[in-house]
Amino acid sequence: MLKKIIFSCLLYLFAYSSSSQKFIPNLELKTLNYESIKSVEAINQDGFTIISFWATWCIPCINELDAINDVISEWKKKKDITVLAISTDDSRSKKRVRPLINGKDWIFDIIFDTNQEFKRAMGIVGIPHTIITYKSEIIHRRIGYTPGEEEDLFKVISNYKK
Amino acid sequence: MMLKTVTTFVITLSILSFSYSQSNKIYGSYESNAVYYQENEEEAYQNKLASNNYLNIKYLFNSNWNVEVQVESYLPKKLQSYSDSFENTHLSTLNINYSKNNFGFTIGSIYDQFGSGLILRTWEDRQLGINNSIWGLRSTYGNEKVNLKLLAGWQKKGSEISVGKVIGFDSEFTLINSSDIYQNLILGISYVGRFENLVNPIIAYDFNDLTSLFSTRLDYFSDQFYFEYEQVIKSKDGITQFGIISNEFVKKGSAHSLNLGFTKPGFGLDMTFRRLENMPLFSDRFEQGEIYNESNINYLPALTKQHDYQLANINVYESQANVSFPDPELMKSGEIGYQFDLYYDLKEGSSLGGRYGSKLSLNFSSWYNLKGEYTYYPSDYDTDFFGFGEKYFYEQSLEIRKKWSLKFDNIFLFINKYYNKRYVEEKIGEINSQIFILDNSIKLNNKKSVRFELQHLFTKDDKKNWYGYGLEYNFNYNFSGFYNTIVNYENLEENKPNYYSFGASYTKNALLFSVSYGKQRGGLLCYGGICRYVPEFKGFSFSVNTSF
Repeated sequence: MLKKIIFSCLLYLFAYSSSSQKFIPNLELKTLNYESIKSVEAINQDGFTIISFWATWCIPCINELDAINDVISEWKKKKDITVLAISTDDSRSKKRVRPLINGKDWIFDIIFDTNQEFKRAMGIVGIPHTIITYKSEIIHRRIGYTPGEEEDLFKVISNYKK
Repeated sequence: MMLKTVTTFVITLSILSFSYSQSNKIYGSYESNAVYYQENEEEAYQNKLASNNYLNIKYLFNSNWNVEVQVESYLPKKLQSYSDSFENTHLSTLNINYSKNNFGFTIGSIYDQFGSGLILRTWEDRQLGINNSIWGLRSTYGNEKVNLKLLAGWQKKGSEISVGKVIGFDSEFTLINSSDIYQNLILGISYVGRFENLVNPIIAYDFNDLTSLFSTRLDYFSDQFYFEYEQVIKSKDGITQFGIISNEFVKKGSAHSLNLGFTKPGFGLDMTFRRLENMPLFSDRFEQGEIYNESNINYLPALTKQHDYQLANINVYESQANVSFPDPELMKSGEIGYQFDLYYDLKEGSSLGGRYGSKLSLNFSSWYNLKGEYTYYPSDYDTDFFGFGEKYFYEQSLEIRKKWSLKFDNIFLFINKYYNKRYVEEKIGEINSQIFILDNSIKLNNKKSVRFELQHLFTKDDKKNWYGYGLEYNFNYNFSGFYNTIVNYENLEENKPNYYSFGASYTKNALLFSVSYGKQRGGLLCYGGICRYVPEFKGFSFSVNTSF
């Protein structure tokens, strides 16, 4: 049993010490109007993209996107930022995405990841999971959201040395 | 078994070691959930440690080729209430993918979905213990107007594969896509076949080894209006009752799903109607009714609102797509029902919205047995297409999100629910309940914040009233502590059960580590509209997950 536990720990240590994901995998996804789009094409190729993996039933995810929605207009005056909200809602709750984002007046680009293949390809275990890219490169990622944490996202963008 | 473990170890180690010299080409995730069980109704878990561990790695050879490997370890044993087919260390996912121009090809574990999943969805949900990927081949073709998929293989069942084989074809055609007045119209046609040769020395079955499902769907989107309709026809197949399949009970199946919506800035309305009759499809026929959802080929979730709060997750509806005749007074052949969602933004500065605005959402859902003529012996039924039979479940909910100041906001949630335990769980009783929830967040200074929630469930039925509360303190953006409890304070028969949990979590970039201690309520664990029974337990829980 001890061997098995050591084996498990080794797997983790190897995994954690290996290189990090730098680029977004190029998968075919669907827009809000069910048009096909390549994940790489959805990203702001000239500036920053905040990619938020969320779902309609995930309260911290909604809190994070509500908070970003309140300040994104101000941020955009200072930096070239696009927000890409990747809905991981499956076919049970996907139908709630369009009315929800309109009801909340969110001004983000919404992408459907209905069978969570993009989430899987990004190695994401739980949501909310937020990634920041500059041009096509991943510069930051984080799990979870606590009130006010959106300010930290903007700090990462502001402090990024190109 | 030894050979399997060694092979897995060598493959994993080779890939991981290789990663050092392959910057940016290898990445993945690791998740580990462990519990040290104390009090437990199952002897095998009394004072025992168990854990589920998942290591997922992807390697990009170049822009055309990539490979995914997932190794799972259930050490020293699987967490309680997961399928017995999860054992030791094994390779659970392995696929090699090639894509160039508009073509794609996969060999190995296939995760895919046709349409809304009514005829095929293969996916992974670790909380529910589902990984029903298909081990086989898939080829795809896609351009702006057409998307085609063809796949075939066996379904994964824990560390084994199914007896039945699965084949599938999916196509989507964009019929209209205009941008002057925005419109997008898509036609989808799909097929799934399950081939299983049932051998019985006594009976020659008079249904085919191949069960076929044909689906057509039409999706329309414009700026403010959308419409999605899908229809499925399932060929006749033997129905499993009490673990037996006979020629006496062989039926066809069908599904109809209609979704309509109207949206504009600040307003969203969505309506869904669905009718399912004898629609489950398993890679092995005798798996019908198995509790771990391991062999489901199609995805038939409950179409109700999914809640995040503990008391809102008592008496959760599970879709009733199966034919089930447990006794002459209880005969089901599927479900019919509808759901409405409304979202409305009360603008900042308006009389109702206040200084910072409010967000309002309403949900109504109602689900019934199919109305028709039912006979218990010999088992048979004949349903009306648009008939509403015995009520399974209804729910009405109202949620108001209100921001009172830059530092304080809250969520108020009210739910009125009816749950027919007799029909949904095939037990005894009907439960009417009303649930009130108040969730408050306060931002303090220096990255600190606090969240506290109050919950109450009122019911005169079943186990009577509950209350609950929770407190979460975020010391900064990385470190949090929490305590929550729910108490069934009017349940005198079981001595007022009290379920609680306290612990801490630490996050740093893509790393999450959490530890907690508590007593978990037993019952149905539901996630994404699929439910699984979990037993009550008390103990320490540890969890780590990271993406790298």
